[in-house]
Amino acid sequence: MTTNIEYGHLLVFGSVMVAAWSLVIYLWPRLLLSVYKRALLAKGFGGGPIPVNTLQTESQALFADPLHPPASASSLATTGVNRDTLLTAGWLDLRKGPLVLHVPDMAGRYYSVQFTDPSKNTVFAYVGKRTTGTQAGDYLITGPGWNEAVPDGVKRITSPNNGVLLIARVLVESDADLSTAYALSQQIQLLKVESIAQR
Amino acid sequence: MSRTTTYLAILVGIVCAWFIINSILINSILFPHPRNLRSDVVQGFLIGGGLAFVTAQIYARIKATKVNGWITMFGLGDPGNGMLLRAAHAQLFPGPVNVPQEAMYWWTNTDGAGHALSGAHDYVMHFPAGGLPPNEAFWSITMGDASNHFVANPIDRYSLSDRSGLARDPDGSVDIRIQNAAPAGRESNWLPAPTGKFILWLRVYIPGEAILRGDYTVPPVVEVK
Repeated sequence: MTTNIEYGHLLVFGSVMVAAWSLVIYLWPRLLLSVYKRALLAKGFGGGPIPVNTLQTESQALFADPLHPPASASSLATTGVNRDTLLTAGWLDLRKGPLVLHVPDMAGRYYSVQFTDPSKNTVFAYVGKRTTGTQAGDYLITGPGWNEAVPDGVKRITSPNNGVLLIARVLVESDADLSTAYALSQQIQLLKVESIAQR
Repeated sequence: MSRTTTYLAILVGIVCAWFIINSILINSILFPHPRNLRSDVVQGFLIGGGLAFVTAQIYARIKATKVNGWITMFGLGDPGNGMLLRAAHAQLFPGPVNVPQEAMYWWTNTDGAGHALSGAHDYVMHFPAGGLPPNEAFWSITMGDASNHFVANPIDRYSLSDRSGLARDPDGSVDIRIQNAAPAGRESNWLPAPTGKFILWLRVYIPGEAILRGDYTVPPVVEVK
């Protein structure tokens, strides 16, 4: 009896199937985060696109009247209901060297700055009330393989990737507190290393 | 868990299974047809990708915790997570999420009895004395319509939280009223609902140990008959 089963074809089909399965599982978080990257860099919260290595805080108007987001805002930035924290976000590219994150004195207020590795959608570091306290501080964010001296008075955060998604959340206590929370959010800043060294 | 994605996952699963049965069992083993390399690669890629989606959806449902209708996942955002768990997390919480120590999120689109939440009904959420979510930052319950957008209402209230000045009953418990029309005499604890279907989000930032250990139970949303 001759068998006509095409093992070669089955092998090709099966191998490609397993490879595609692994690839899609592995890349899913990265694809998800690339959508956020595009939304931030192209549109932002309505204050215009957010250039790489800069931060943008959502406007007080958007927080106060979330029913009417600005037409220019990314729908990703305005879908999902959050009435607790003012968001500040940006995309970091550490290929040209590290950056300094400056946070102001939050005087006990809840806030967090979340550093997400966009290749895995996992968080590799936090600055904020839970982890570093609410006093003012400067943090040097370095990419992989960076090996130079860390300036005095600056703590180092090592990123596993040159790309980083940064999201800061500052608690809004009440409507009357919105402008204070906004002013504090705007003092969360990315600085060049030179500007720290010159102090 | 959204019904649309459930149906989509089932549909993709059936299509993939049918293709596997059709192209392997029937066309290759039982009644061999000539095949070419290109269709092997294309079919393998599409079916592998489809099965990846189905796997991630199933694994997400296995790893999700559902109590009283409220769905959450532990271990979001942890750098030690493997690739299958990371993909599963991205199914139910598709965004740049916090780790549990920083914040826990629960959501529900059903009441405690499993019926879809709708503004056609009135609901109450009862926190017994000392039963509000333990935390070192804040907690909140936020209303979203069926597409996860804020809901317009006459008092411009979109959430209730530890900052809302919630009224307590004499025994120290807190009842949150979730309904479309204002509850007479209980406006302070009213979370306005739309007329149609809605979802609820519970956020607890810097959650207490009881939450992180899995010992804290979120009360059900109960329909008031």
